[in-house]
Amino acid sequence: MSKLKGIYTDIVKIRRMVFAELARLALKDAECEEFDKIPYRIIDTEEATYRSSIFKERAIVAARVRMGLGMDYETNQEHKLLSEGIRDFLKNDNQLKEPLVNVIRFACEKCPTNAHFVTNNCRKCLAHPCSIVCPVDAITIEEHAAVIDQEKCINCGKCKEACPYEAIVNYERPCAAACGVDAIESDDYDRAKINQDKCVSCGQCIIACPFGAIADKSMIFQLLKSIKRGEDVRAIIAPSFVGQFGPLVSAEKIVAALKELGMKEVREVSLGADFASLHEAELFAEDIPEKQPYLGTSCCPSWTYVADKHVPEVKDNISESSSPMIFAAQSVKENNEDSKVVFIGPCVSKKLEALSDKVKEEVDFVITFEELAAIFVAADIELTKVDAEEEIRDASYYGRAYANAGGVAEAIRQNLKEKYNINPPITKADGLADCKKTLIKAKAGVLDGHLIEGMACEGGCVGGPGTLLATKRGAKYVDKFAGESPYKFAFENEKLNKKEKKE
Amino acid sequence: MVKVEICVGSHCSLVGALNILETLEELQEEYPDQLKIERVECMDRCGDIKNAPVVKVDDDLITSAQTQMVISKVMERIK
Repeated sequence: MSKLKGIYTDIVKIRRMVFAELARLALKDAECEEFDKIPYRIIDTEEATYRSSIFKERAIVAARVRMGLGMDYETNQEHKLLSEGIRDFLKNDNQLKEPLVNVIRFACEKCPTNAHFVTNNCRKCLAHPCSIVCPVDAITIEEHAAVIDQEKCINCGKCKEACPYEAIVNYERPCAAACGVDAIESDDYDRAKINQDKCVSCGQCIIACPFGAIADKSMIFQLLKSIKRGEDVRAIIAPSFVGQFGPLVSAEKIVAALKELGMKEVREVSLGADFASLHEAELFAEDIPEKQPYLGTSCCPSWTYVADKHVPEVKDNISESSSPMIFAAQSVKENNEDSKVVFIGPCVSKKLEALSDKVKEEVDFVITFEELAAIFVAADIELTKVDAEEEIRDASYYGRAYANAGGVAEAIRQNLKEKYNINPPITKADGLADCKKTLIKAKAGVLDGHLIEGMACEGGCVGGPGTLLATKRGAKYVDKFAGESPYKFAFENEKLNKKEKKE
Repeated sequence: MVKVEICVGSHCSLVGALNILETLEELQEEYPDQLKIERVECMDRCGDIKNAPVVKVDDDLITSAQTQMVISKVMERIK
């Protein structure tokens, strides 16, 4: 996990201020020219605070504004007045398009790529084990210190381990280090560049970049405009939502606040998780091992993209079941055909899932908890003072526990045990690199018979890039809220039974 | 005993109050008898979001609070 996850930095602050500004302008139906003022409202000093120049700081904010609206990243050559671009964009279909995650290239500080360096901790010692253990003879002992020949070095790390003075460091680009599928490359100017053929849009690089040079696109503006137009917007909120808005803001208060914002209805996505865990248990019971050797879960889009893009041979063994998001959206639209559904979650790649042909009819908008928190501020909704009326009880214990690593597989296993008397071995892939490794193992046949859970974010959805809480803290809230559910198993969920009876 | 009141309203939570709270709670594990943390509703000081987060260390009101500022104020009083 990136070291920056869960730490509040000025990068986080600027990102959230941009979201709040976009929400504010959407809510007041502002003219396009007003967007030109956002960089000045956010960077309101006389001289630069963060970078070489205040104009660059503002240009970066402008790039964030464009992406916050869902617009494509523009190179410096194409640069035009913010408001002009926005006017064109809003005139056309104003829909967010791939690529979702983008490097703001002129904000990238061109960190050196993976390399081992000797620091001035080096004592030029007599033993110099570094040079002795080097398998490619890349280290020479020069006048003042050991020196690594970068042409020869293969980054095996043996010298680093051997040094008694901790004098050798492995320097990695934080964005590349956070990327479990090696999608970060360099452009002709040595700036980070995302290889979109490899990228699975998990969003971890957004959190990891210490210069805030990577951003995803957002649908804040489109969502709020839809509400402003008086459309029937209904929210489905992912299981990791509890606690994300502060310790005094209960799940019920979050629901009430969403209604105050203009949502006609709010449902837990955990309800969809109950559908999904039952469906995946059924698939497992029917197909394993006769029709397919193992079953991979389907709820994490980035995990399924890893299979699509990196280990395509295993693609067919990832469950075809719809994700909890889709099930929850369907349960809303079933009775409200003309409604629009917004998925609110911790997840960046759900934005992409919602754009796919299969899903775009079901889910109209996707926003993160972080984006929602900014919307509440822009709408002047004070969460601690909202009156919560109704108790929410949409989902079972295991459905609510989907948000923590291991929760998905456990929910499916419980259904398999109770309904089919099967207790399969479980493999959990926790984090993107682990996802890829696990799928390669599965391809080799090592995991036959297994139920395989894949989570691109370490710790599960609570570790998602769109969260406000540190991962462990979020996980505790999820556990507690799951414990308050009136049902233990998915199949005990009355809301589900009602639907099944109807069928 | 140092008493810290930390606002966990919408504005303050968006701009880092939850992170300050987390650090404070870690500190409290080290000094359970010397630090009292109260999570409070909006204190109405954040009309301009630039004043958030709002934290009170005893009678000392801190606006635009940052973790390091709050913790050093608390530590001054604990020691």
